[in-house]
Amino acid sequence: MTSDVGKMNETKSRSELSDIFYHLVRDPLGLVGLIIVGLIVFSAIFAPWIVPYDPIAMNIPDRMQGPSLSHLAGTDQLGRDTFSRVIMGGRVALQVAIPTIGGAITIGLILGMIAGYGPKWLDNVIVLLFDTVRSFPTVMFALAVVALVGPSLNTVILVIMVTSIPTYGRVVRTLTQSLRNSEFIEAERSLGASVFRIMRVHILPNVIGPIAVLAAMDIPTVIGLEAGLSFLGMGVKPPTPSWGSLLNDGYNLIRNTPWLIIAGGIPLILTTLGFTFLGEALRDVVDPKLRGRGK
Amino acid sequence: MSALLEIDDVRVSFSLRSGLLSSAGSIDAVSGVSLKIEEGQTYGIVGESGSGKSTLARAITGLHHASEGSIRYRGQELKGLPEKEFRKLRKEIVMMFQDPIGSLSPRLSIGSLITEPFKIQGMKNTDLNAEAKRLLAMVGLPDEFAGRYPYQISGGQARRVGVARALALNPKLLIADEPTAGLDVSIQGEMLNLLAKLQDKLGLAIMIITHNLNVVRHITDKVGIMYLGKLVEEGNTDNVFSKPQHPYTLALLAANPEPDPDAQLMRIELAGEPPSLLNRPKGCEFHTRCPFVQSSCRHEIPKWNNSGSVSAYRCSFPEIWENADHG
Amino acid sequence: MSTPTLDIRNLSVSYSTPRGELKALRNVSIQIPNKKIVGIVGESGCGKSTLISAISKLMATNATVKSGEIEFHNSDILKISNQQMSELLGTDISLVFQDPMQTHNPVLSIGRQMVDIQFRDRLSKVEKYNRASEMLSLVGIPDAEERLKQYPFEFSGGMRQRIAIAMALMAKPSLLIADEPTTALDATLEVQIIKRLRELQDEIGCSILFISHHLGVIAELCDEVVVMYAGEVVESGSVRDVFHSPAHPYTKALLECDPGHIKEKTRNLPTIPGEIPDLVNLSTGCVFAERCSKKHDACEERPQFSSLNTEHFVACHLTGQENAL
Repeated sequence: MTSDVGKMNETKSRSELSDIFYHLVRDPLGLVGLIIVGLIVFSAIFAPWIVPYDPIAMNIPDRMQGPSLSHLAGTDQLGRDTFSRVIMGGRVALQVAIPTIGGAITIGLILGMIAGYGPKWLDNVIVLLFDTVRSFPTVMFALAVVALVGPSLNTVILVIMVTSIPTYGRVVRTLTQSLRNSEFIEAERSLGASVFRIMRVHILPNVIGPIAVLAAMDIPTVIGLEAGLSFLGMGVKPPTPSWGSLLNDGYNLIRNTPWLIIAGGIPLILTTLGFTFLGEALRDVVDPKLRGRGK
Repeated sequence: MSALLEIDDVRVSFSLRSGLLSSAGSIDAVSGVSLKIEEGQTYGIVGESGSGKSTLARAITGLHHASEGSIRYRGQELKGLPEKEFRKLRKEIVMMFQDPIGSLSPRLSIGSLITEPFKIQGMKNTDLNAEAKRLLAMVGLPDEFAGRYPYQISGGQARRVGVARALALNPKLLIADEPTAGLDVSIQGEMLNLLAKLQDKLGLAIMIITHNLNVVRHITDKVGIMYLGKLVEEGNTDNVFSKPQHPYTLALLAANPEPDPDAQLMRIELAGEPPSLLNRPKGCEFHTRCPFVQSSCRHEIPKWNNSGSVSAYRCSFPEIWENADHG
Repeated sequence: MSTPTLDIRNLSVSYSTPRGELKALRNVSIQIPNKKIVGIVGESGCGKSTLISAISKLMATNATVKSGEIEFHNSDILKISNQQMSELLGTDISLVFQDPMQTHNPVLSIGRQMVDIQFRDRLSKVEKYNRASEMLSLVGIPDAEERLKQYPFEFSGGMRQRIAIAMALMAKPSLLIADEPTTALDATLEVQIIKRLRELQDEIGCSILFISHHLGVIAELCDEVVVMYAGEVVESGSVRDVFHSPAHPYTKALLECDPGHIKEKTRNLPTIPGEIPDLVNLSTGCVFAERCSKKHDACEERPQFSSLNTEHFVACHLTGQENAL
């Protein structure tokens, strides 16, 4: 028998979101992650207003300068302010990451729940689909598509989204399968709940937690992928700034100035660290809740 | 007048998937059960692990499919009924589950949980908040519970929530799967009293599934003892308790001793453990454990006997202990 | 009277929780005499799990022992090192837990596990195997030698619990602590296991601390019983005394609530209304006062233990004043 002592005396707790926030802030890694991610998101949203210079404005006389008071990170080969390009690059990174992951999650959720809860034949078909997509090496696939269709932001988004769907889909499927035989699902079935209702009201909310954690950890990967594609010139088209294209420029000019590489590299590192810390802390907060409390 | 619920020779089989190295087969979790429940009556199904009692309960509510036999509710055949049709009956036939907290959807508030039946039946014009309050009051829980979540309440409270949810739409038949399992002795009575009170108020028929004979004695009109998927004894509760016929019934009675160190109990000890459903014993299936087993029991299948008019049992040598040595 | 096998004196354990200090055990004193079976009866929140974790030094990280001693073999368990404790556990003190499905390592055969726990003994592997198979037969598992090769999933719950008992008794401990070992099993199996336990205890001569909420089993198996409520001992004595002449209102109420006890068929079963008190914000009076039908003014103060005879003790103001029998 579980001890009911704690439960009987517990008062109503805060709302779930503020509960999560509360715990995140108390975890040192979580706090760091939250701050970094917060900064990045903030600068991405308000980029057009906080950039000191127009990121694509050329200024040849001032080219290839090192960091100074007027150009915090120096300038590139066309005299554009690197700092402004970094901030704008963050915007581009998130502009790619969010629709990509958002789309992958949405489709992955739907397909995963259907696979996990529906009839076996449908499950087999969907899993086959997942496995087929996953068998493509992502970068090669991306390059192939880009070669056919031409480089653009939208192409990058589409490619990365499609290749990410199976990752989320599989996790959702496994979670759904394990929930499928729980007593509360049986109870809802005995009340006559339709399959659709069970998926929407009873399975979905229980599956979102781990998915959110996965997404948080996935964002740096997607950003890295975009950066990589842009580095290869297969991503966003110039003159749109991207951390990847900054790195590419910096790579070509490394003998002239190291600052471009630093400027392109540091945000990538910070973003990866920030989201990873956040994801790890989120997982610690979300997991015990899923397992149930008070044991 | 036909009974509220009539179960006729119901069989529920599960096929075992064949793997690379193991062979396929099937097990009969319920292998030929027949019983009747009248309106407003309380029927207790008593059995231990592997008896098939929970499977039977789920077959009645359509969660498992009966492979043979018939299950009739008010004359309407439930076996094989498509879900669309069954849904209409789900206002009248409801179930309460064994795991009190596990049977509540963890991310829904108590208020949402107990009003699920309304939403599922598409009753859009009901004032759900009012209904939630009414149901909470009916089971003796305060209003503010509506905002709580399953992980915030105790097992006993969660059980009451289960009752509230089951009775939301005023059903006619409630199937309660182990309603007192895991509850402290001091509050078992609360749950049973609540069910008795609600039964009187709503004219409900209740089928209680339990392994605890003592619970059954107080609140049921009729009782059926199950072993390995079959009924071995059935009848009015008073009769079965005062004059048990089948050795298994006697063993169950002996296994729930009253707390009295000096009590003179018939020491009935069953040998071994219940056999696997894959390997059902021949003859009387209980013979492997029966302390009074005779040689014919090993190959003769006992017939269903009626002693008088109210008790029935399946044993070739009923009340054999009357003549045997008291252990 | 010889020294008891286990002597718990004035044990108080608290947990630190976000809401404050949860006083799970308060001044608990229990004695387990040599070669006797002592049962602890109590419901959720009575502190029995905390008690076991204190004795076995397997307490949660947020638990602290506020006071008390636990004397075993002339040393205070609370004062010895973890190293010394781990030498005791499995040799002199054995534990059997509630859930037989989780007790064994699922990926090792039973035989391997039973041989592994004999790691302190200087016997050959064959000898250890033989000992294991002997123990299995002793607890009523047929074809012991064959079954040693099998894995836990090939055994039913009842069998696994017997194996757990076999493993616990293999080292011939002085004290066996069994925490609700039959709660998860069917009643007819429970009867078998209890009987077996009694026989083994007779043979091996160990003391047993048996925790259960099943009053009938305690009456059947135990010599003495301790009734606990919300972290305190409210009554203790021989099984006969406590069950025939319960002195504490809680014990009386508990016995009355047991459906097996109630002779007359009734649709209004007795219960104990209310809930256990908040262990974080305890009142200073008797812990059962709120739910007690005999509550009166004296109950504002914590009752002391009074003895009804040399063995039967109860913590209730009423027995100070009137004859409990």
